[in-house]
Amino acid sequence: MPLLECKGLVRRFGALVAVDAVDMSLEAGRIRAVIGPNGAGKSTMFNLITSVLKPSAGEVIFAGENITGLPVHAVALKGIARTFQLCHVFPALTARENVRIAAQAREHQRWRFIGGRHVVTRSAAAADEALEHLRLTRLANVRAALLSHGDQRLLEVAMAIAQKPRLLMLDEPTQGLSLEETDRTVEVLKSMLGAGNLSVLLVEHDMEVVFKLAHDITVLHRGRVIADGSPAAVKANTAARSAYLGGTE
Amino acid sequence: MSRNVSFALTVGICMLLPFMVPQYSLTVLIEALIFGLFAMSLDLLVGYCRLYSFGHAAAYGLGAYSAALILTRLLLPLPIGIVLAVLVTTLVAIPIAWICTRSTGVSFAMLTLAFAQLGYAMLFRFRDITGGSDGIVGIPRPPGPLGMTWFQGKTGYYYLVLGCLIGSYLLCRAIVRSPFGAVLAGIRENEAKTIALGYNTRAYKIATVVLAHGFGALAGALYAAFAGFASPELFFWLVSGRVLIMVVVGGAGTLIGPILGGVFFVFLEHELSEITDLWPLIFGSVFMTFVMFAPQGIWGILTRRSNPGAELPGAGNETSDAAA
Repeated sequence: MPLLECKGLVRRFGALVAVDAVDMSLEAGRIRAVIGPNGAGKSTMFNLITSVLKPSAGEVIFAGENITGLPVHAVALKGIARTFQLCHVFPALTARENVRIAAQAREHQRWRFIGGRHVVTRSAAAADEALEHLRLTRLANVRAALLSHGDQRLLEVAMAIAQKPRLLMLDEPTQGLSLEETDRTVEVLKSMLGAGNLSVLLVEHDMEVVFKLAHDITVLHRGRVIADGSPAAVKANTAARSAYLGGTE
Repeated sequence: MSRNVSFALTVGICMLLPFMVPQYSLTVLIEALIFGLFAMSLDLLVGYCRLYSFGHAAAYGLGAYSAALILTRLLLPLPIGIVLAVLVTTLVAIPIAWICTRSTGVSFAMLTLAFAQLGYAMLFRFRDITGGSDGIVGIPRPPGPLGMTWFQGKTGYYYLVLGCLIGSYLLCRAIVRSPFGAVLAGIRENEAKTIALGYNTRAYKIATVVLAHGFGALAGALYAAFAGFASPELFFWLVSGRVLIMVVVGGAGTLIGPILGGVFFVFLEHELSEITDLWPLIFGSVFMTFVMFAPQGIWGILTRRSNPGAELPGAGNETSDAAA
């Protein structure tokens, strides 16, 4: 049974069909990239899976359970952690505080009003571990607003993995980064993904990044799946090439 | 460590004040502490959730009127009456919080204002119970439990208010430092992200609005039993505006700042109203000066050196409306 299964997902915005009957699945422990030109429906797919948008039709099955239309926070508590295309962190808090709040979301006693020192301590330990994984330990006490853009992006990934998710969803982790920053991010992500047995869904623009990280690739074009398979197979697929990889030839 | 020392010193000085100032000045002191408590209760919303309530007078008025009714009609011992008034207000606050937190920003401010004005209007509608525009007068301070009477005199009452303020401050400080408080910081910084992390932020906001009403009601109840009367003005939007100004001038998001803001404004008003009728003008100028030149407030100025970068912009990212 796949960890994540999208069945016939449709999302309309007025007359525009942003996502058109998309079937997609992700096996546990795999890294799948969703690629496609601008407006292909990649981000909409992400928002449908995480329930930020409700589908016009179709279902999202996670670990055998239908999670379509659940509240956003409830989807997150099922074990799906995501990052945003436009980086979302808590600017006035330190990096450690950022990750600590993320880690604490999975604690049963996150509602403790008074005290709860043990909750704080335990989630702080999880936060330090996540920061370590993304090599941000030296920046733990720096306010997120003062971090470089690349570090903020890694911080958001740290927040996601601190939740020990069953599915990690990364929305363009290298968006807006310089070449050096991109290389570093890919290297960090690669070592992180290699270490843990994570299941990852990745939206990414940068083909080099995709081919370095992904096991499977789904190519979207105008809301439809036009190719699906291993990186090598997708590279060979002419439809995918003309839509995206080869550009205008 | 030095922080605890200065806290202990401040408490010590407050304890000794009744022996240092004449009796009539105690009145201003008590009022100042009550307003400090009231402003601190609003800080839970403004400073920690970035929820700008423009109707916090509802908490104050509800606390005052509940206490007034409980003490005059039931003649329960004063401490029990005050605790009951807080509980009653907290219960009433639950539906208010449930409705108001459906929105954020300006609409939240307008909804809270509407509820406070609704309370104001109800006072005139249910004249038999509330006394209408006369309010409730002659509120006693019944003795007990265990035959205690120490809070009936002015000095004793000062210690009662001081105790309530310190206790509430310590409680609020524990709350904002708890796991729950960490979530509030997340809501303040970026609510959409906090939801995406798996927090039902609406529930946290409801809880905080209710808590703020509870502490605000404590201030209102203490005021009613001190002044001996409760009048409709306690519900009026001017009270809401004044306390919001106290929070901003004191330094939102610091708890201690709004206490100082409340104390500062009560004293300012007291001193100025003796000298000139134009004191509201000066009141307004002080507020504008702070907004323009010291947005971090009184407490921010006092602690600036130990807290560089305090004027960093808070939320840099856009936050969407709370999806429940």
